[in-house]
Amino acid sequence: MSPKHVEDLYDAVIVGAGAAGLSAALGMLRSERMRTLKASGIRPNILVISKLQPLRSHTGSAEGGIAASLGNVEKDDWHWHYFDTVKGGDWLVDQDAAKLLAQEAPATVIALEHAGVAFSRTDDGHIAQRRFGGHTRDFGKAPVRRAAYAADRIGHQILFSLWQQCVAEDIEFAEEWYVTDLVISEDGSKVEGVVAFDTHKGVAHAIHARNVLIATGGAGRLFHTTSNSWDLTGDGMALALTAGLQLEDAEFVQFHPTGLAHTGILLSEAARAEGGVLRNADGEAFMEHYAPGHADLAARDVVSRSIMAEIDAGRGIPDPKDPDGPKDCVWLDMTGIETRHMHEVLPQVVETIEKYADLDPTVSYVPVKPTAHYTMGGIPVSTDGEVYRWHDGERRTVEGLFAAGECSCVSVHGANRLGGNSLLDACLFGTRSGQTMAARITDDPVNDLMSEEPPEGNDADAVRQAASARTAEIKDLLVRLPEDDEAGRDNPYQLMADLGSVMERAVAVRCDETGIEQALAILHDELGPRAERLHAHSDAPTFNQEITAIWEVRHLIELGGAVLKASDARHESRGSLKRLDFPERDDDHFLSHSMVDAQGQVSWQPVHIVDMPPKTREY
Amino acid sequence: MSDMGNVVNTVTLRVNRFAPRPERDRDRSRGGSPFAKKSSPFGGSGASARRRPRGKQWVQDYTLSARPEDTVLDCLLSIKRTIDPTLAFRYSCGHGMCGSDAVSINGTPTLLCTATVKDWAKQPSVSMVDDEGFRHTGDTAVIETDDGDDSGNLGIIELAPLPGFPVQRDLIADIDQMLDQIRRLKPYLQANDELATTDEGKIDVFEYLQRPEQLAKYEQLSNCIACGTCEGSCPVYAGGEAFIGPAALITASRFINDSRDVQAAARMDAIDSADGIAACQSVRACSRECPRGIDVGEEIWQLIAQIKER
Repeated sequence: MSPKHVEDLYDAVIVGAGAAGLSAALGMLRSERMRTLKASGIRPNILVISKLQPLRSHTGSAEGGIAASLGNVEKDDWHWHYFDTVKGGDWLVDQDAAKLLAQEAPATVIALEHAGVAFSRTDDGHIAQRRFGGHTRDFGKAPVRRAAYAADRIGHQILFSLWQQCVAEDIEFAEEWYVTDLVISEDGSKVEGVVAFDTHKGVAHAIHARNVLIATGGAGRLFHTTSNSWDLTGDGMALALTAGLQLEDAEFVQFHPTGLAHTGILLSEAARAEGGVLRNADGEAFMEHYAPGHADLAARDVVSRSIMAEIDAGRGIPDPKDPDGPKDCVWLDMTGIETRHMHEVLPQVVETIEKYADLDPTVSYVPVKPTAHYTMGGIPVSTDGEVYRWHDGERRTVEGLFAAGECSCVSVHGANRLGGNSLLDACLFGTRSGQTMAARITDDPVNDLMSEEPPEGNDADAVRQAASARTAEIKDLLVRLPEDDEAGRDNPYQLMADLGSVMERAVAVRCDETGIEQALAILHDELGPRAERLHAHSDAPTFNQEITAIWEVRHLIELGGAVLKASDARHESRGSLKRLDFPERDDDHFLSHSMVDAQGQVSWQPVHIVDMPPKTREY
Repeated sequence: MSDMGNVVNTVTLRVNRFAPRPERDRDRSRGGSPFAKKSSPFGGSGASARRRPRGKQWVQDYTLSARPEDTVLDCLLSIKRTIDPTLAFRYSCGHGMCGSDAVSINGTPTLLCTATVKDWAKQPSVSMVDDEGFRHTGDTAVIETDDGDDSGNLGIIELAPLPGFPVQRDLIADIDQMLDQIRRLKPYLQANDELATTDEGKIDVFEYLQRPEQLAKYEQLSNCIACGTCEGSCPVYAGGEAFIGPAALITASRFINDSRDVQAAARMDAIDSADGIAACQSVRACSRECPRGIDVGEEIWQLIAQIKER
């Protein structure tokens, strides 16, 4: 669906239609003030732009649950959730934000239930809850059932219910439009709009807006092996960098320990909870050496690092699908789980292994390796979703610009995210951003006939200029290079694969200065220039996927540079970041958020410590 | 994709490609002809013109190395990387959850990312279709296979866009019609906002209560990923003009069977129409390839019974 026409000016444009973007749209339209405005006959101009069709967003792939201290199956308390979140994030969590997250979680889950989510239920009809790694009672004493779930399809349920509610609100969507530019006023103080490329028609549109929310999700495609969909190319984060903004804590990327070999598809933690054991090339169950007492059920980052250490020590195995390939996997041995029990409690895991590895886990070992899963960092935002720039030791808000979900960083995840907290972050802070935007919109709605006419846009305005530049670029991209030109044989899909290998070698799970510098050099000398020379291989502007892919890979390269620079700047190991050359956490120097910009300049913002001084993170 | 040891397996993807004629040409040709219809006297104009895209059609073979357990999506992505970056198809999550990659594989609507080479590659059988394009039936054609020559050749997989929808480019089909039909049926929970209270009237439970057996009545229906394979399989749906389609009916049924929803009667009225349940001929082709395992045909059958027995 595309809008019938593009309005001269929008009250709000939301970029991305996953949990965060849709929550923001609903939070905005269902706020008290917006209802009053609509009742008075003023209809706000709102547009949701998504590079995908509706219902395809990656939110739909989330399996496990959404955390909230509902206490439906056993006693729970939001203070405990708050503590677990801070501890899980290795104390790089802004505690004011984490407190809100824990306090507001139950209301967020209830709102989702009212929106239609088919939660699994207790016998007496309440929302059922299950255990999840790192969620405890009594401040770390024992595991607690805190994750509300819908079988193993919570993300699908949330995505569909939110979209359905947006249908009820008659929200306008621009589907399969790709945002190429985020336009900010020259002095960087306020947002002007975006440029969006309609992939159906092959045309770039100037879209003026008083409020813009970026909710484009993560960037798993930075890495060769990822659980993320092909569309998670870090677009929003790259747009922010290009617009002169910073990213917060970009060096923290969570790797899930058990991706199915080179597919990256997740095999749930439950496989190990039910008795699965990780083994190296010698058949040795190595986790006991790394995490005595916890072994295969140690925290995600600990298990990922241990697997990587085995591989680095030459005790890895090649993916059986590629026997001559690199020995960068280890075995997951599930043969000890009784066959019938395995099919009963791990149906999805068994199905994935059978389908995508062509193996029978009851008799064969399964190749696994850590898979890029979640970016803890992102566009810096306040707890109301406002994007800011960190400058001279203070936050300078960019008026009208918002971000929510995985592409943002309100810093509730710190250096390592707990399971069940990502959907919560997206829904809660998405809703709050929407409410903040609603307050701004109702103060001065575009369609209020009583208010002053907004000044006519002219050709000199920044959004139009950006759109014209894109239009010229599209024309150029559609000129095919001759076959004998080296760049003419290159294409964005191959380049994305090459970038994934470089990033994986350099910073997946662990890194050091030498590896980071090598990767930066390759990005700068080889991949960057290749990306700049890319041209499409068809001159048709309509449904030309290669055009979008060229921009995506450029976004990834820009973002990859920022991730490397931020990793380089942090001379310590914390949460998901393991510096082999700086193996210890260093609170004296690095209890701070890194703020990196497109030039690779890193400044530091102190962590908000409110209630809990840093302690050692042990499980 | 790297080769496996010394055995080089190849597969041929035979892709039905389509390139739309650029819009300005279409406008010009229409403007130039006095017979070109700009709108239909029966209303709902534009739609049918939009639904019948003009352009160039051709069939292209891609032969590439592959392993039997590779998915068809793996093969297509490999083609994009190494052979032809212009080949267009939708894909996203790559493991059967997002629903974006439904196409026709060997004539059967299914998802690219769950279909494997070993399940779908077939050895070419030249004798099946004669020079005029007719397929002979009745007599058993002798298909000659020569194992010596074919070793390593896994066969041919034929790909076309999802049937029942207008093609936009190559394997990309316009499924807006399906989404519009789903939207038409108010596909959102309409509850009565009553929450459980204590004896004193204080709210003590904030969620709508729903027992597991009530959930079981619609849980599987709520797993629909709107991929469109059921619609592409349905011989009645084709084009969607006379039938609201199985996907929309499944969505309606999902809410009718949800104990929290209070609009069941209105929902049943909305589909008790000529292009609603009356259009379903119970062919049940819709059930065959549902990636979420929904027995779509049976569910619609139950829905019809539910409505007729009111």
